[in-house]
Amino acid sequence: MQWLSSRLAGQVIAAVGALLLTAGISAVMLRLGGYDPLTAARALVGGAFGSSNAFLSVTLVRSVPLILTGLAVALAFRAGVWNIGAEGQLYAGAIAAVWVGLSVEGMSPWVAIPGVLLAAGLAGAVWALVPTLMKLHLGVGEVITTILMNFVGIYFAAYVVHGPLQESRGVFPQTDQIAATAQLPALLPGTRLHVGFALALALAMGLAVFLRRTRLGFQVRAVGASSEAARVAGRIDARRVILLSFLGSGVLAGLAGGVEVAGVTRALYEGLSPGWGYTAIAVALLAGLHPGAVVLTGVLFGALEAGAGAMQRDAGIPAVWVIAIEAIIILAVLAMDQLRRREVRRV
Amino acid sequence: MTRAPTGHAASARLTGVHRRFGPVVALAGADLDVRPGEIHAVLGENGAGKSTLLGVLGGMLRPDAGLLEIGGAPVELRSPRDAWAHGVGLALGRRGIAGAWRLRYARVRAQAGELMRRTGLDVPLDASTERLGVGDRQRVEILKALLRDPPLLALDEPTAVLTPGEVLSLFGLLRDLAGEGRAVILVGHKIDEVLSVADRVTVLRHGRTTLEAARREVDAAALIQAMVGRDVDDPAAVGRRSDGRGSGRTRGQSVASLDAVRLRDATGRVVLDDVDLSVSRGELVGIAGVEGNGQRELAQVLAGRLVPEAGSVRVPEGVGFIPQDRTREGLVADFDLVENVALALHGEAVFANGPFVRWDALRERAEQVRERFDVRSTGVRQRVGTLSGGNQQRLVVGRELERARDLLVAENPTRGLDVAATAFVHAELRRLREAADGPAVVLVSTDLDEVMALSDRVLVMTRGRLVTVDDAQRTREGVGALMLGGRDAVA
Amino acid sequence: MTRPTHTLLVAAAIAFAACGGADDNRGGDAPFRAALLTAGPVSDAGWYAGAYEGLLLLRDSLGAAVSHQQTRTPAEFDEAFFSYASSGYDLIFAHGFEYQDAAIRAGERFPETTFVVSGGGRVSANVVPLVFELEEGSYLAGMLAAGVSESGVVGMVGGVAIPPVEGTFRAFEAGARAVDPAVRILESFTGSWDDVGAAKEAAVAQLSRGADVLIHNVDAASFGVFQAVREARTAGRTAWALGMNRDQNDVAPDVIIGSAVIRIPDAFLEVAEAWRAGELGGRPIFAGQAEDVIDFVLNPALRGQVPPGLVAAIDAARDRIRSGSLTVPRVPFVEGEPGVQ
Repeated sequence: MQWLSSRLAGQVIAAVGALLLTAGISAVMLRLGGYDPLTAARALVGGAFGSSNAFLSVTLVRSVPLILTGLAVALAFRAGVWNIGAEGQLYAGAIAAVWVGLSVEGMSPWVAIPGVLLAAGLAGAVWALVPTLMKLHLGVGEVITTILMNFVGIYFAAYVVHGPLQESRGVFPQTDQIAATAQLPALLPGTRLHVGFALALALAMGLAVFLRRTRLGFQVRAVGASSEAARVAGRIDARRVILLSFLGSGVLAGLAGGVEVAGVTRALYEGLSPGWGYTAIAVALLAGLHPGAVVLTGVLFGALEAGAGAMQRDAGIPAVWVIAIEAIIILAVLAMDQLRRREVRRV
Repeated sequence: MTRAPTGHAASARLTGVHRRFGPVVALAGADLDVRPGEIHAVLGENGAGKSTLLGVLGGMLRPDAGLLEIGGAPVELRSPRDAWAHGVGLALGRRGIAGAWRLRYARVRAQAGELMRRTGLDVPLDASTERLGVGDRQRVEILKALLRDPPLLALDEPTAVLTPGEVLSLFGLLRDLAGEGRAVILVGHKIDEVLSVADRVTVLRHGRTTLEAARREVDAAALIQAMVGRDVDDPAAVGRRSDGRGSGRTRGQSVASLDAVRLRDATGRVVLDDVDLSVSRGELVGIAGVEGNGQRELAQVLAGRLVPEAGSVRVPEGVGFIPQDRTREGLVADFDLVENVALALHGEAVFANGPFVRWDALRERAEQVRERFDVRSTGVRQRVGTLSGGNQQRLVVGRELERARDLLVAENPTRGLDVAATAFVHAELRRLREAADGPAVVLVSTDLDEVMALSDRVLVMTRGRLVTVDDAQRTREGVGALMLGGRDAVA
Repeated sequence: MTRPTHTLLVAAAIAFAACGGADDNRGGDAPFRAALLTAGPVSDAGWYAGAYEGLLLLRDSLGAAVSHQQTRTPAEFDEAFFSYASSGYDLIFAHGFEYQDAAIRAGERFPETTFVVSGGGRVSANVVPLVFELEEGSYLAGMLAAGVSESGVVGMVGGVAIPPVEGTFRAFEAGARAVDPAVRILESFTGSWDDVGAAKEAAVAQLSRGADVLIHNVDAASFGVFQAVREARTAGRTAWALGMNRDQNDVAPDVIIGSAVIRIPDAFLEVAEAWRAGELGGRPIFAGQAEDVIDFVLNPALRGQVPPGLVAAIDAARDRIRSGSLTVPRVPFVEGEPGVQ
């Protein structure tokens, strides 16, 4: 496991470096904008970890869609599939989840909740299927097609809340709330933390076992590391592996949308996601595409989002600053990740 | 940075150079003294530090310690551009060209055309280098270095993929360059070549210089002694010794056959044209040919990696395949030894437990391969990307023998290997053929000596067609004529 | 990384969080704490800016401890209510209809906190819709538009076609036809509250179809409408814009001839005082001309452009609305209103 642990060390260094870089740039920016960086930092940390309320009901709740989409990206990237479409797959999952959630009124939660999640996962896979088929049969690069499918997903959600699934009063652009039995129960009573978090943890663990222990998981890693060697030395059917990991990635991203709807918003709105599917790329890269580490980086980014809200509430820093700082974090992560790769290649 | 005037920099001296890559010590006190007007050969086993030394001279690697002088003055090279400014031009080996590169500008084209005539090297000028085969890529790399016409020219294993004719023309050109007062460094491991062309020789072993001498002061035995530190049979000599059996050997049962196989490549060119072949247990079939005549595809079809457009293919279950490009096709550089063994064996029943991989069993198997085939590494958890070329090949050979129950297809299995590793591969192939109930062995190689020395039957690939060599033609000259006939026809 | 390591790290983080304790600043000696949630930037010089001014007014005139958060996604609605209510805020203004469902959920979880949803449609014991009868202002805007129009064509550019917005447009039409029964009225929606480009395109399209007075209801994107009108004027045409939600006369004093105004700060102040008196909850608050929250104000700089007779007619209509003798059209959307489930 020697190389693994050295890779892990590099990962930790990259993560810490990214955080320090962000902290430095943000502090200078805030100072120039006339805000006190220390107050801001205190609000940020307090809003993310300062109380059990903040940690359990805000940070961890925010981390759920990030972990799930982060796992989606990690699985795809491990197979060498550049799925930039987690955002659209998430919307597809959310739409399907609401559709099923609205029609299971009166059913037992043991039927309703699996039904909602199943629909979300399937819809995510369907959304990923289009770019997959275009890649495998037409040779169209998945980066462009998945990004385009994101727009289709976002606008499809907008159409749905104005049209076929608009609330029964027909007044506002949102759906009705899904059936009470389709909503995810709280994981810890008295908090907003829902069982979707446990699901995310279980899926992370499952994905880690899948990649490390199973034949198909090994094939995914081999195809991602070198598709030529996988074909020639491994006699692996790369097309099959790409198909399965692309669809699996779509399932995970679709689940992110379904879990968010069933656990948090309870209804579909326009602008459901602030770009989780894109942040997920930073989450996955910072985790070195390792599912276990995705949980940690997902919580880290959840904490940043939670802390960002608190910076507005408690330090009076306007939202635009907060958005800018989040963007810097993602850039810093990508920069540090790139540096780390170059370092690895040199050795 | 001062630009050294051309003509004054045609000498270089490296003294006591050290360089580590993480845990791997590549250079531990290497010396090299290259003088104007000479062809200076640098010899050594794979992993001896030849490429690293060249990297230091070319400004791509900074030494941890040691002195570097060019044209008599100490210099510090921070980049390949620095080295170029000092008059050092490099043609790298297999990993030479990064990304796409085209010889497409008119002026460059004209010069390249002239050079190709002079050297006998021939590459398609309009192909993107990403699409070129290993051989053509290396030809491009050599041409690139020659085009810039530096006072000090260094070539890393330039002959590995060239035909005998190309080697001769290249050496003639190098001789001319040296005659004009330039210095030429030739890195390699083929002792015969070195003895035929070099003026002086430096031998590296384990990162140290073990011998520096003028050509007339040394013979092959002395060079081998300095390279490996022990007596190793010259591979050609070993081959000749076993040549007595010829085609008289009795064949076993046929394990694989191709019947009227046709295949076109991505550009639509016919690469396999109505190929018939049947191989049997206990025989070693050699397939010679100049690169680019379809033998790569033939090897992949035989190994079950490619499905032809037409014709029937019968391939057995237990096929081992030693691909020519071990770093791209044979191994995953980011995987460790266990995972690379798993790459080949993870589909076999003994290594599976339902959908799961039995890593404990695979680890055990990897330990065995590592031990039996002497893969030098810190352990089975070392990334294979950090192994030397020879050790990588030992791993590939060891692993593929594990699954070659019925058939082994070996494609240029000794390319780029040092004397000891080459002898090892040859010995394994021979052992396989002689084993009772051993598999059929198909050796596809551009190294004619290797094919002649090892094979029971020899066939030649030319322009996608497989030509049987009968006993009368089975001489170096006869087979060589068939090979070159193909080459000319393609060109 | 191994599984036990994860478990340990997560456990450590939770322990750390628990030890952090509830270090809530309970507002010090402020009489009460008020928070504002907006779904857009308070720099919009309109709907959200007015709300932010209202929040500051509570601080300055009632001594409230205040805080503001801009939410970006529906997932943040619940969270923001939760964060404010669980850290002791008494009165939370959620400035937009989109908060209504989350407010009902939060109201159940935090019975001690009162939630005021601007333009909301759902009511409970501690969730109060604050309904601005902006129709009463846009009716007068319609009168002015028809009165100053030379082409006889006026236009309306909306964001999303939700009932409060449609209501203002129906009232605008009624006011315009009261002055000129033959007036032609154009209407378009951009689908966005902050897409300045889309708003400008819609405005340019209406101007090219002959409209010369445009009213908007697109919040922060209104700058696009003003810009389109300004460019039409620069090109030598007669064209006017009308402000909405807040007195926007000073936003573009050269093109805005008058504004239909919600005095959001006054409304917030009244709501806060009702809450302190224990009179808030269980029913919606309607705020219109009679409460002095809604008005229509002419741009003083352009007053010379408006015929005196038209000014007098507008003043007369305002008086009739205040006295209740003139009822302007409205699209109902609050639970319990006639026509709403």
